[in-house]
Amino acid sequence: MQGSSPVTNAQDFPVASENWWTGRRTLGQALIILGSIGLAAIVLLQLLDAMGATSLGFTNWRPSLYAYLAWAICLGAGQILIRGEAGHRAVFLLPALLFTIVMVIFPTFFGLYIAFTDWNLSSLSGRQFSGLDNLRAMLSDPYYWNAIRNMTYYVVAVFVQYAIAFGLALLLNADIRARKFFRVAFLLPFMLSPVAVSWMIGKSLMEFRFGPAATLARHLGWDSPAFFTTPWIARLSIMAMDAWVWIPFIMILLLAGLQALPKEISDAAKVDGASPWQSFWQITFPLMLPVSVTAIVLKIIFQLKLADIVINVTAGGPGGATDTVSSFIFREYRDRSNVGYGTMLAEVYLVIIIIFVMLMLHFAGRFMRKVT
Amino acid sequence: MRLQHYERLLKLSRRDVLKGAAGAAALSAAGGLTGLSTSARAQSDLRTQMLQIPGVGKGQPTDADWQQVGELCLGPTKANVQQGEFAGVELSFMGLNNQNLHNLLFRGFLKPWEAYTGAKITWIDLAQADYNPRLQQSIATGTVDFDILEMGAPLEGDVCGKGLASEMPDWVKTQIEMDDYVGYLKPPVGTWDGKTYRISIDGDCHTFNYRTDVFSDAELAKQWAAEGGQGEWAVPKTWQQVQAVTKFLKGKKLNGQDLYGYLDPPKGWGGFGFYFLGSRATAYAKHPDDKAWLFDVDTMKPRVNNPAWVRAIQDVIDALPFEPADQLNADPGTTGFQQFLAGTGSMLSWWGDIGSNAKTNDSSVIGDVCGFDILPGSDDVYNPKTGQWDKLQSGPNYAPNMAYIGWGIYVMSRVDSDAKKQKAAWSAAAHLGGKDISLWMAAYPSGFQPYRQSHFNIPEWVAAGYDEAFITDYLKSESDSYNHPNAAIEPRIPGIFQYYSVAEDELAKIFAGGSDAQTGADRIAAAWEKITEQIGRENQIKLYKASLGL
Repeated sequence: MQGSSPVTNAQDFPVASENWWTGRRTLGQALIILGSIGLAAIVLLQLLDAMGATSLGFTNWRPSLYAYLAWAICLGAGQILIRGEAGHRAVFLLPALLFTIVMVIFPTFFGLYIAFTDWNLSSLSGRQFSGLDNLRAMLSDPYYWNAIRNMTYYVVAVFVQYAIAFGLALLLNADIRARKFFRVAFLLPFMLSPVAVSWMIGKSLMEFRFGPAATLARHLGWDSPAFFTTPWIARLSIMAMDAWVWIPFIMILLLAGLQALPKEISDAAKVDGASPWQSFWQITFPLMLPVSVTAIVLKIIFQLKLADIVINVTAGGPGGATDTVSSFIFREYRDRSNVGYGTMLAEVYLVIIIIFVMLMLHFAGRFMRKVT
Repeated sequence: MRLQHYERLLKLSRRDVLKGAAGAAALSAAGGLTGLSTSARAQSDLRTQMLQIPGVGKGQPTDADWQQVGELCLGPTKANVQQGEFAGVELSFMGLNNQNLHNLLFRGFLKPWEAYTGAKITWIDLAQADYNPRLQQSIATGTVDFDILEMGAPLEGDVCGKGLASEMPDWVKTQIEMDDYVGYLKPPVGTWDGKTYRISIDGDCHTFNYRTDVFSDAELAKQWAAEGGQGEWAVPKTWQQVQAVTKFLKGKKLNGQDLYGYLDPPKGWGGFGFYFLGSRATAYAKHPDDKAWLFDVDTMKPRVNNPAWVRAIQDVIDALPFEPADQLNADPGTTGFQQFLAGTGSMLSWWGDIGSNAKTNDSSVIGDVCGFDILPGSDDVYNPKTGQWDKLQSGPNYAPNMAYIGWGIYVMSRVDSDAKKQKAAWSAAAHLGGKDISLWMAAYPSGFQPYRQSHFNIPEWVAAGYDEAFITDYLKSESDSYNHPNAAIEPRIPGIFQYYSVAEDELAKIFAGGSDAQTGADRIAAAWEKITEQIGRENQIKLYKASLGL
């Protein structure tokens, strides 16, 4: 052992180390290549089988899934073997990335393919490529465009929710009694499932015969307090229920923003003789704009997915007055098994949402730069 | 039997039970007097003994009771299967778990069967809401992973029409005594191209529920005459009378409560709401000389926009202003359970659940004032062949709506390649659809209603502890509907609920004032044509004819 001095080691190590690393790299690359070939082969065989070119007897797509899992393991192991410490770090990220690919990205693109097929689950002929038929049907579908029109009303309602939430946030930010209690109490509706809200409020509190809200309305002089039988009252009732659930969410974001504002500025404004109104409009509101925009954008994204309350309380009625895009798509899928058309509606709606949110962020940014 | 119905029985006094037992003894004695054969008497004894498990008023049946009933009813199985004959066979059974019934009962019933035959069953339990999508996906993606299926007849087109079901062997037909089925469950229901696929375990139809106190009130009778009402103040027998009574009752009071007439459910209900327009339409649209009433048989051209259906839609439009103010947001659940049972409205079409809930549901206030009948008729009926309205010599046209046709047990064709497995699957299904076990299911909570001629033997029900007047009235309305010669049988074609669902959307628009009856009906017809094209017209025609036995 004495012969193996550090000096000797220092001279020999680079060569041995280089060989060792080369071996590792080669093994890593081989693993990845092997895994990739295996995955490609299995997927190709399954595709050929599905197209009827071969008859290998595959009964489902599980072999491809298993091949993907095996490939993922090979890829992870290969990263470690090839890149060492950097590979270790990559392996922390890879599972999430591969999971996202298989559960989000692949379904989105597969959905895009489905959207261009005529696929009614009851059809004997199964899935058939139908080109732009679904898109054309969508363009002339009055129910879809009615739902889109309703969505614009629901989106506009977000600004009303925002105004109320801002008022509540200001109130809870002020020195009032039992402030902590109110903060928790105001959050409670947000903790409830919209389905529970549908039943508790829409089908109980607002019930025409025995609902307390209907009884109160009668006392106030409304003879027939039917909240869901005329289009605009039904729409406003849905908006009110949605607001009841979501205002706490906006409020809590705004309250966090208000608490982060430097108190010195409002104190200085007071010293300079600014009225509370001036102080709000000239100082608090502009400083709160970044938080406000975030809250509004998030709420609009949630609003565009509104479905549960509508499905449970009105089923889109009366006459489609409260229908949303999501509740309409739900009917197409669930009640009509119209998978191809339903997917087209969903994909187009996704594109509309992405464009709408991007435009909104762009204009909100411009607006903020202008006022600040 | 529906759960709520049984809960009412649980409220019966001990005296009632003793009366029932005495009745059973009397019935048994009567059997002796009338000279029943030994086997018939043995069967009668078995049925009497079976109906005492666990015994009316002795709590809700448990798994032990289900197993005991299953054991008692093993006789027919033993006649066709040797002990241990199916050793090593594994079967998969897909069905519902609504209200902890359906599959949960089947498990108990089949445990003695498993012990005797040696087969093993694994279970796929589904909530009602998940059932259709799960079944459709299995069919569409070719992943049928069950051997035995509990399924409603309207979905037969999707399963039997696609060759996914196994044809019933003759020995099963004999074992389950199919001749005992009520009229409308006999072929063509359960058959495709002359082949039988279904073991019925349930019967379904819409009946007419009405308030006896309203139609026997002297003051209302006086007002009816004073306002020029036609005929005596009585329970309406035709839709024309229903309309007149509905308009008359608006603004009237009984015991200080506002009165309303017929209750329509204009709000969609996942396709099931269309059955209620169907109940209004069958008397107009189902001509005694024509089996079809929803589509033309040879072309699948929808009839939903013909004068008969448009008249039914117009009836709803005309009646809605005379119904409660929030009626537009009422689905069938609302009309049945929040309105009619709670005392709002005096006439309603519904499944048998209303009758069973009338006396048992805590929110019901009409337990003692609820009467039953078959659906109203019409003074004239539309003849699609001539395009004329016919007045029948026999009087009003009646056409009870056999809405949903009830649940059945089906064996999937994937077992056909293995003779042992096939026999095992059919034996299990036959055990569940046996004549005796079916009486127990009709009499105790199971999720199923009576569906055999033998289920309408009132003394058996009275012996089990039922109130005779109530059960007679209730069962008569069902029996008369089931056996009606002009019953409107639902088309068992693929995607039938797609047709209903799309119609619901359009009807909601019509009832909200979005379009007139004819325009809306034309739109429904156009949407139905699209669905037919999408699913495949030729095949739909073929299956529609097969479903009607043509």
